[in-house]
Amino acid sequence: MTRVGIIGIGHGKFGRRSDANVQELAFEAFREAVADAQIELNDIDGSVIGSVPEYHKQRSLAGVVQEYLGLNPKPTWLTEVACASGSAAIRTAWMGIRSGAHSIMAVIGCQKMTELSTAEILALMGRVGDVQWESGFGTTFPAYYALFAQSHMHQYGTTRKQLLEVAVKNHFYGARNPKALFRKEITLEDALGSDMVADPLQVYDCCANADGAACVILAAEEVAGKNSKPVVWLDGVGCASASVSVLRRPNLVELPSAQEASRIAYEMAGIGPKDIKVAEVHDCFTIAEIMAYEDLGFCKKGEGGRFISERQSYIGGQTPVNVDGGLKAKGHPIGATGVSMTVEIVKQLRGEAEERQVPGADVGLTHNVGGIGQYCFVHVLRRE
Amino acid sequence: MELGLEGKSAIVTGGSSGIGAAIARELAREGCNVAINHIHQDAQARKIIDEIVAMGRNGFAVETDVSDFGAAEEMVAAVVSKFGRLDIMVCNAGINWDGVIWKMTEEQWDKVIAVNLKGYFNYNRAAALVFKDQKSGKIVNISSINGMRGKHSQTNYSASKGGEIGLSKALAKELGKFNVNVNVVAPGMVMTDMAKSLPAEFLNAAIDETVLGRIATADDIAHLVAFLSSDKARHITGEVFKIDGGQYI
Amino acid sequence: MFKWFGKVNFSPCTKVSEFAQHLKDGRLMGSRCKKCGLESFPPRADCNRCLSSDFKFKEMSGRATLVSYTKIVAAPSGFENDAPYVVGVVDLKEFGRLLAWFGDTIQEKEIKIGMNLQVVPRIFEEIEDIKVYYSLEMPGTSWSSTNSAT
Repeated sequence: MTRVGIIGIGHGKFGRRSDANVQELAFEAFREAVADAQIELNDIDGSVIGSVPEYHKQRSLAGVVQEYLGLNPKPTWLTEVACASGSAAIRTAWMGIRSGAHSIMAVIGCQKMTELSTAEILALMGRVGDVQWESGFGTTFPAYYALFAQSHMHQYGTTRKQLLEVAVKNHFYGARNPKALFRKEITLEDALGSDMVADPLQVYDCCANADGAACVILAAEEVAGKNSKPVVWLDGVGCASASVSVLRRPNLVELPSAQEASRIAYEMAGIGPKDIKVAEVHDCFTIAEIMAYEDLGFCKKGEGGRFISERQSYIGGQTPVNVDGGLKAKGHPIGATGVSMTVEIVKQLRGEAEERQVPGADVGLTHNVGGIGQYCFVHVLRRE
Repeated sequence: MELGLEGKSAIVTGGSSGIGAAIARELAREGCNVAINHIHQDAQARKIIDEIVAMGRNGFAVETDVSDFGAAEEMVAAVVSKFGRLDIMVCNAGINWDGVIWKMTEEQWDKVIAVNLKGYFNYNRAAALVFKDQKSGKIVNISSINGMRGKHSQTNYSASKGGEIGLSKALAKELGKFNVNVNVVAPGMVMTDMAKSLPAEFLNAAIDETVLGRIATADDIAHLVAFLSSDKARHITGEVFKIDGGQYI
Repeated sequence: MFKWFGKVNFSPCTKVSEFAQHLKDGRLMGSRCKKCGLESFPPRADCNRCLSSDFKFKEMSGRATLVSYTKIVAAPSGFENDAPYVVGVVDLKEFGRLLAWFGDTIQEKEIKIGMNLQVVPRIFEEIEDIKVYYSLEMPGTSWSSTNSAT
């Protein structure tokens, strides 16, 4: 089976994009990626779109995106697994190329979150978990992660300050990322003083909705390497599922889907957690990043709070994490996030990250979680 | 038919004479502990209680004005304390004070409404507080066919008796989800001591109105009330049972 | 009648619809696969171990211990007037896990992970339609305040 590499990347500006619809946002990222890959439009033999339909007025998104990108009549379809849709699209393209069915595929993660009215969003908010047994009590997305946080704090002594230190770090790097939604640093004081959303998570513990798109071009080994940039190889592709319902998880201090997906990815790539030089993890909430340090093996179980306090996830620390701002500072256009993470890792491994460059980064990782951990995709990328 | 009322506890307002006394006796016969209230009928009340106790049940009587909101809560609390529980609330205490409207005083109106309508509100409410937490209970409110039709010289009485029907139906809707039945019994003319003292023409006119050619005894009413207080009637709620020998069809 | 369950209900159609009927009668039901014996709370009609759909309801005592909790301040549609409210996730004594609000018998400051609780079936009292749920209460709290077998 053929090795699959990333030969082109593109990333649009994340934010409240009332200036464009979803296919126009997709185009921004796509054009950049095609130029970066130095290929012709016609070289692309298929596309996979990562997006979450229920936030858009347009039904069946893959079609309008494909049309606008000028990729008809090439095959296209949508992958949706909540916030991990982007990585699912990447995995799908990887499978398509690895099997020999395709040679060069475009993966576009694109999302508008702001087409819905506040009322429509509030109605969707209550349907994140198990609607049969949990939504009747008014649970919300932050509430589930708050349950994780309370449990983690109780079991390991993780503190509210440590949670917010994650937000401080990510805003520090977001300020240095022109594509991010939030471009200002924050202080711990700002963060501690913010409104409560679901105890103990405050406004600054939570990522913000945003519109945006990102694109990667994947190619089979035989046709990769035609341009001047180093190919970044998708060497570890792990994926796992878990129960949607928190009532059927083994505990509330870890995401078993992340542990399993990373195990598969590490094994496929022939490496371990300490070999990762730079990582993008799914910080939909600050506690999620702390749990990710542990689930991915960057530190021992329960020591995620210490990892951030000791600045191990800053550049210069053991494993720099989310040095593009993460979901927290970039914003979270849910279908685009997985592809955005991949774009950042490719940049890092090519040495193109400028003031946010992790020196000598040659192996990177993306960790993209869907919903409250029912889906997780972990990819290991390598530049030779 | 076995009504299954053994060990249940009931309150019957106005239970010292007439229909109320017959209801109190019938419930006791069926196995209930019964508490009654009355006004100015101490001797009659004691007699009823003696009969109840002689049947081997618990019983007690309270002298109280049913239009007193707080006293209703106190009586319910006393029953729960003395009998250990309350299962059945029968509101029966009522007065009339007739007169054509242009001669009716404000006091005539207020008094009849207070005793008949507010009195039922007071006791229904006090019972509902218990029944709702208990998830079981039976309320039977004694109204009259004169609450379903108009009666000359009874604007106040008809209003109060009609009001009891509205109250009962609304309450049936509120308490249904707690497994509580609320029903109305609407008698026509009943042969009580009070009725016996009426002039003969009145009684005969009433008998003529019926199709059965007779007026009810207090026990006729009591039998229906006992049935509605039992789980044999568990699927009946929000209903009005005319029991009038066909006096008003 | 599963549409009776929860303040807001998005899933009226389910094979375990009678759960709500039992809850209205004061009984908390889990399920048991008649073929292989696998027990589940929340109840499920189809066994994910042996794939049989032959199940029966099994009554739970409601005794539970607290796994985690949170106070929700930003509420979704339908819950605006209730916010803030505290939800808890509990392990049930016999098997399974449950999520519910805390009820009136627990003060917010008493809530501690690991505490013993009683899950009590509840009716939404002031809504005209029949709507049922359950709440987390002090151990020993009962559904009806007297033990009559009416």
